[in-house]
Amino acid sequence: MTGTIRPLPETLVNRIAAGEVVERPASAVKELVENAIDAGASRVDVTLSHGGKALIAVVDDGRGMGPDDLALAVERHCTSKLADDADLTDIRTLGFRGEALPSIGSVARLAITSRPPGADQAWRIAVEAGRVGAVEPAAHPPGTRVEVRDLFHATPARLKFLKADRTEQNHAADTIKRLAMAHPEVAFSLSDGTRTLLKAPALTGGLLDDPHAARRERLGAVLGREFATNCVTVDVDREGARLTGHAGLPTFHKATAQDQFLFVNGRPVRDRLLHGAIRGAYQDFLARDRHPVVALYLDLDPAAVDVNVHPAKTEVRFRDAALVRGLIVSGIRHALAGAGHRASTTVAAGLLGRARPEGAEDHPAPRLALGGSWRGPARPSSGALETARAWQAPPAGDTNGPGFAEASARVPDAATPSPEPQPEPDPDPADTPLGRARAQVHTTYILAETTDGLVIVDQHAAHERLVYERMKAALADGGIARQGLLLPEVVELDEAAAARLLTRADELATLGLVIEGFGPGAVVVREVPALLGQVDAAGLVRDLADELAEWGQTLALKDRMADVCGTMACHGSVRAGRRLNEAEMNALLRQMEATPHSGQCNHGRPTYVELRLADIERLFGRR
Amino acid sequence: MQLTIERSALLKSLGHIQSVVERRNTIPILSNVKLDARDGALGLNATDMDLEIAESVGSDIAKAGASTAPAHTLYDIVRKLPDGAQVELSLDGEGNHLVLRSGRSRFNLACLPVDEFPAMSAGSYTHSFSVSAADLRGMIDRTRFAISTEETRYYLNGIHLHATTSDGVPVLRAVATDGHRLARVEVPLPDGAAGMPGIIVPRKTVAELRKLIDETGMDVSVSLSDSKIRFAFDDCVMVSKLIDGTFPDYERVIPTDNDKVLEIDAATLGKAVDRVSAISAEKSRAVKMAVEKGQVTLSANSPDAGSAVEEIEASYDASPIEIGFNSRYLLDILGQVEGDAVRLVMADASAPTVIRDVADGSAIYVLMPMRV
Ligand SMILES: Nc1ncnc2c1ncn2[C@@H]1O[C@H](COP(=O)(O)OP(=O)(O)OP(=O)(O)O)[C@@H](O)[C@H]1O
Ligand SMILES: [Mg+2]
Repeated sequence: MTGTIRPLPETLVNRIAAGEVVERPASAVKELVENAIDAGASRVDVTLSHGGKALIAVVDDGRGMGPDDLALAVERHCTSKLADDADLTDIRTLGFRGEALPSIGSVARLAITSRPPGADQAWRIAVEAGRVGAVEPAAHPPGTRVEVRDLFHATPARLKFLKADRTEQNHAADTIKRLAMAHPEVAFSLSDGTRTLLKAPALTGGLLDDPHAARRERLGAVLGREFATNCVTVDVDREGARLTGHAGLPTFHKATAQDQFLFVNGRPVRDRLLHGAIRGAYQDFLARDRHPVVALYLDLDPAAVDVNVHPAKTEVRFRDAALVRGLIVSGIRHALAGAGHRASTTVAAGLLGRARPEGAEDHPAPRLALGGSWRGPARPSSGALETARAWQAPPAGDTNGPGFAEASARVPDAATPSPEPQPEPDPDPADTPLGRARAQVHTTYILAETTDGLVIVDQHAAHERLVYERMKAALADGGIARQGLLLPEVVELDEAAAARLLTRADELATLGLVIEGFGPGAVVVREVPALLGQVDAAGLVRDLADELAEWGQTLALKDRMADVCGTMACHGSVRAGRRLNEAEMNALLRQMEATPHSGQCNHGRPTYVELRLADIERLFGRR
Repeated sequence: MQLTIERSALLKSLGHIQSVVERRNTIPILSNVKLDARDGALGLNATDMDLEIAESVGSDIAKAGASTAPAHTLYDIVRKLPDGAQVELSLDGEGNHLVLRSGRSRFNLACLPVDEFPAMSAGSYTHSFSVSAADLRGMIDRTRFAISTEETRYYLNGIHLHATTSDGVPVLRAVATDGHRLARVEVPLPDGAAGMPGIIVPRKTVAELRKLIDETGMDVSVSLSDSKIRFAFDDCVMVSKLIDGTFPDYERVIPTDNDKVLEIDAATLGKAVDRVSAISAEKSRAVKMAVEKGQVTLSANSPDAGSAVEEIEASYDASPIEIGFNSRYLLDILGQVEGDAVRLVMADASAPTVIRDVADGSAIYVLMPMRV
């Protein structure tokens, strides 16, 4: 008997691939426009007819293809974008698989006409449902024109699933918008043959010198003028990752989270981490059912992100998701607070160095003591005055965070008659390593005076650390105390996420969170870690579900304690930008002193820095 | 506009006004108080768009007129004027500035046009009744500590008021819960409140209302619809939006068949809980109660600080039980008990416990235990 297994014919292979790559006209539009951008085009014009079902034409003025390249472009796995020895960890173009054109060619009538600038004529190649024609001479200005006709005519099954022309057209427009937002240096237009549906002119000279301004301009063209005038500029970097972009003012909000965009190394991606992080960043400012408009651009080492995880390349996997999330939250926070991020990302020592007056060069540089110093020598070199982490959580001794934050900052909050633990009589600064709180600045840092200097505490990082240490201590001491819920909270999730959580239910219970299944796709929260006080249990569970999906099955949650605590502290009762009164600040300082390892946050950054009086004197040239 | 007014009268009204006005406003006009002088009285209005307050103070009006001025600044100025001072308010020639004169002080405050000030929402209320200041105060004081501050479950961020019957007697009920504990207080149903919709009064409104109650001994007239509530005092009216949400069906979390009944001196228990929990630096300071015939042993321990134990006499006949609570939650509730004894009715260490003032049947508290 002859074997029954045999290789599939090439056309079928391509068609199967097409099933993944090309799902609807918008996906073809995406591939073609990405190719144009990769080809260095300065303008890309797209025409659709019948929502792209009848015709998609993409014309660019990029580097074009000669006759030989044209023939290869429609072959599977032919790409100019990966060198022979390149690995997939260093992808700097939007395309890299050499799959798009052959896939499209296998399910439509594809025609490419192209002429490299400098060539004296153009060439054309056509592919009809997988059959590749010959390369023929043609007339065309420098650049490339790709036409896709009768998409899916070769695969009627898929044709059936397409929506109304209008819907498909909207999807395509959405795709072009995203790419246009990522590439302000390129002009884009979209037309349905009679009307211009979208027009984003290229940005010229001066504007391009200021990337923020150029981007804002482009975002205005795509998302509406109003956004451009109602946003703040985000610009933070940390550990080699840089996050820039624009975040809408809290007063500029929408009913859905649709207008929240993330671009990773120039690639529009959809990432569930984004919406959660944005929610965190805005939670002080926005009603729960309103959503901000945000466009963020993350640039990081291509090796730190895997783009090869989704057939349409619209999802990515970060090596350090916590870092990205932290960047998003703190970047937006800072932009909104109007605080210059530069202050926060500049290495403190460097700042001091620069701040020294002229003529003071011969003095030794002031010494900065970083978190942990009173216990021993300062941690070397990690001297960044860190950007405030956004998951501000409450200082101990507070379960009644302010609801109307403003009101309670003003009047002693009569609405919370709980017997607050009386603050100790103000300690003599001489007695305490972290001194006495003098002020809170940018609702983020506590300034404290010690006998011989000044301490700056990152209140959020410090609190997160305290939660972590407390959980650890409680775990070691026989378990984390759990507060039962009078009103158990039902949290709707997708089925997979609910299942993932439930397989970890025992582990979660040891961390203080007791959940049970509640039909498919939902869990009910019965008990929460008591040390979190009043907590948004649903938000906590959702975030944990997301994280579990990222961490995979095998890891023990205890090994991710720092992250679990971060997530939990994030959902504790008090948020970023929390205004603290003097008693609360002093309580936090005293707790830090009483807590081992409180000098650095869960991610190894200092929770406070200390400046000795002698150093300050040096700054002013008094020594 | 030109008028003269006694400093203390103005200060009192501005005191109410300024606490409604938010400190940082994105809409400038909302930082202002509207001043309207006519018919022998100065009317003052402020709003944060959810809560509005209108006051009227008798004053000597030389020329009627209206304007708006920054509420916090005006309040600060008037507060710092000497006691007994007379204050003269007028507008400058163009009406761009409010001029305040008192003694030898003179202030010019920038105004915003009065027609920009949001109009007081016109009232259409479905129910009106009057309730004594004491009843209202009692309902607020004994429930507000349980209001949730966690904003995702926004419908818990206020006091739920509704008309119902308790043992066949019509009552007005106030309920608040943060999901960990619940407080329910009732007073006889005032005339006119029958059939009122169940509403949720936001925390800020509760706080402002509470301040106003302290200054009146009179009945308060309450009018409400399903979206708004209005409280009228002698010279002052407060209108608030209600929280647009459904308060959970709280009745089902109040256990009815708990059978372990502990009666104990409330003050003694409160002091002991406070002492014992001092051992722990945790904000959730757990105390454990080991309850057996005739006595309760309170204990707490902290991994680093050590442990504490205290015994208290109590009346208890059921089978022994050990149950833990967040000491602050327990103290919050014990703080509401005015009589000598408090009654805790328990089932087991994981089920809600019902707590009552033995001398006062109008309030009931439910507390969810903590598990260590
Ligand atoms: N508009 C264009 N201008 C110039 N060259 C193009 C253009 N479109 C495609 N090409 C060339 O054709 C090759 C194949 O394109 P195709 O989209 O199939 O693959 P890719 O972009 O390399 O990878 P991916 O499948 O990930 O998109 C590209 O590598 C590029 O060299
Ligand atoms: Mg491509």
